[in-house]
Amino acid sequence: MRLYVDSTKCSGCNACRVACSLNLFDENNPKKSALVIEPHFPSPGMYTVKVCTQCGDCAKVCPTEAIKQDEKGAYYVDFAECNLCEACVPECPEGVMFIRAELADTAWKCNLCGDCVNVCGTSALWIAEIETATA
Amino acid sequence: MNGYAGKILRVNLTTGTFTKEPTPADVARDFIGGRGFGIYFLLKEVPKGADPLGPENKLIISSGPISGMMIPGGGKCDWTTKAPLTGGYAGASMGGHFTAEMRYAGLDSIILEGISPKPVYLFIDNDRIELRDASGLWGKATFEVEKQFKEKLGEEYQIATIGPGGENMVSYACINHDYGRQAGRGGVGAVMGSKKVKAIVLHGTKSIPVADMQAYRKAGMALYKACKDAEGLKEWIRYGTTTVVDWCNQVGALPTRNFSAGSFEGAEGIYGKTMREKIVITDKGCFGCPSPCGKYSRSKKYNSYVEGPEYETIGLMGSNLGIDDIEVVAQANLLCDDLGIDTISAGNSIGWAMECYQKGIFTKKDTDGLDLKFGNVEAIFTLIGKIARKEGFGVLLGEGVKRASKKIGQGTEKFAIHVKGMEQSAYATHNATAMLLAYMTCDVGAHHNRSWAITYDLQVGRDLVVPEKVARVIWLQNFRPMFDVIGGCRLQWVELSIDRDLYVPALEAITGIHRSWEDLEKVGDRIWNMTRMFWARENDGFGREWDLPPARFYEDAPTTGATKGQITKLEDVNRLLDMYYEQRGWDSNGLPTLETIENLGLEAVVA
Amino acid sequence: MTASIRLSDSLKNLLGSEGLFTIEAGHSVREAIVSLGINPDLVAVVSVGDEMQSKDYLIQEGDTVRLLAVIGGG
Repeated sequence: MRLYVDSTKCSGCNACRVACSLNLFDENNPKKSALVIEPHFPSPGMYTVKVCTQCGDCAKVCPTEAIKQDEKGAYYVDFAECNLCEACVPECPEGVMFIRAELADTAWKCNLCGDCVNVCGTSALWIAEIETATA
Repeated sequence: MNGYAGKILRVNLTTGTFTKEPTPADVARDFIGGRGFGIYFLLKEVPKGADPLGPENKLIISSGPISGMMIPGGGKCDWTTKAPLTGGYAGASMGGHFTAEMRYAGLDSIILEGISPKPVYLFIDNDRIELRDASGLWGKATFEVEKQFKEKLGEEYQIATIGPGGENMVSYACINHDYGRQAGRGGVGAVMGSKKVKAIVLHGTKSIPVADMQAYRKAGMALYKACKDAEGLKEWIRYGTTTVVDWCNQVGALPTRNFSAGSFEGAEGIYGKTMREKIVITDKGCFGCPSPCGKYSRSKKYNSYVEGPEYETIGLMGSNLGIDDIEVVAQANLLCDDLGIDTISAGNSIGWAMECYQKGIFTKKDTDGLDLKFGNVEAIFTLIGKIARKEGFGVLLGEGVKRASKKIGQGTEKFAIHVKGMEQSAYATHNATAMLLAYMTCDVGAHHNRSWAITYDLQVGRDLVVPEKVARVIWLQNFRPMFDVIGGCRLQWVELSIDRDLYVPALEAITGIHRSWEDLEKVGDRIWNMTRMFWARENDGFGREWDLPPARFYEDAPTTGATKGQITKLEDVNRLLDMYYEQRGWDSNGLPTLETIENLGLEAVVA
Repeated sequence: MTASIRLSDSLKNLLGSEGLFTIEAGHSVREAIVSLGINPDLVAVVSVGDEMQSKDYLIQEGDTVRLLAVIGGG
């Protein structure tokens, strides 16, 4: 399973990012969420949303094996084992692997909790089986 | 303090110094936040008789306890000041992402005091607070200013800025944010301009403490679920506030040619459906909103982008000026936003001038050569620029219709469509007595958002003058503004019809204080009475006369459309006021009695 | 030859009524609204499929006609 997004449906409200920070850190702080919303205004007038595809590239390079897989197949960061080495961040093809040392003493990423989907009024986000690439 | 960012920032612009004080617990308990904080500080700190554009006036910017939280619509920001447009109370509500960012920077309110000797902008990044030179930005339009800041500082920063309208202290200048959200009414932008503050630039990375994290997350999710499950969400998202254009036209509420009628023969060209098909390119929501009414549009004809138009702008810049083309409305909207003037007051003022021109009171000699016929697109665009820049004929119109019509005389006061000096927003009220009363008694002047009662008029009989209608208006005035107090948006309750009791556990989990809606409405009642006391304190002879509607609504029945031949009698207008004052506990001149003040516990506040 | 009418939560609350009705196709929306005992002025929006329609729209077999009230304005 993974999170999917249709950016054309996003209205840029950021409810998903608040819900995400509440799940990850028990905090109201969208700066500590695992989704990225890029507004493009005044023109061309659209949002681009970046979400984790659960590709696992981050886990492959983690020297402390802090990025683990749960029973749903979602990769998550075990905060206690992250040493902030930043190896994972450049590996992420979507730019949704985060380290901001001033905000948290761990890396963080999407753990597929689904709270973002639950607060999205425009149905821009959903969770589904990972589609295998067709040649 | 749970539910609060914790600090109030005071900026003394005269000396260029800052003070941060803890958000007072007793004020938070009694007035909660937002508009409540605004009127509390205004009454207490701005001295009687202060010049709205002088150093004694303050601009009070406030969030509420649901701002920036996982609560639908928690993105509203209140801007309170003594209004340059009316000389009374102004409380302008702005959507977008500003108030959430304020709270993440640790601030519940920002209070601007004094006057800066030179143009500045206020820069806030968490605890780093600076006044920076803005002489290079002075004179620039709002989109360019916001774009420059975003390119330099990044998208995480939130910007509120004035345009030339605010710099020139046009009496209905607005404040712009997020390329299309405004603190629009009453001239809050002129106050910011008088203080020489071009912009406020914000960034914060802090969290907001809550009393009960698990209960808050549960209550927040329940609110989002209710919104997502609501029948009507799909249509509301598709059309936003423009859902009502067609309907207002059918029921005679669409302002047409300076409110001379309520139905417009060219309305189809400005319908929500027409707009969605022709120009809308994306939905653009305020912070945390599951039902974004904001539509973002691209006009091919003018090769331009604008957020909106919203219903109010369609009414005032469209039918009210005889315009039947949504792209023209969008372009007029863009010019007003970019130059920083309120579309409602501007459209209303231009409508008044067009009627003066039609009646021969103005000729081309008065209008700088403009042919001010209803429907003249180029004249409208030119006038918007002249108003914002205070040039030529635009100087008079920038004063608003009350002062302009007083200067011109010749009976033009009768079709100057305002109450207390604030131009009426986009509902024609020839025959809708509850809505008429709502405009007459609104705490900022003729604005719709405190009490909106047209559907109630249609439901019970539009010309009825009965105590039930008055009670309905008062209930709405006590209840609806509470959304501005808690820092949120009323539209989820209003348009999706979600159960308002869902907010009660959410607010309790966030602040740790249980408040039922009955408790909240009591706070609303107190705030309403405080704004009334402010008007009375600031204006000699304030009273009943100030609550009368424009004569058009009791003398001048429409000759076309759904309300053809329909009018409210002056004696009914007065009966409405008699009943309203009685139910409010005010005397026959419309002032709160001593007993009412005591019952509301306001002796100390208004002393 | 039937179609259905669904009321928004705002309209349901306003009227204190049920939310779903089955009606005969072939009539205008206005006629259908009146036949259900609803004051047509209280219906602000008529929506069929994804599009807003006028109250003169002729209801087709199988349509789901959604009706919305505006109870609060802006």
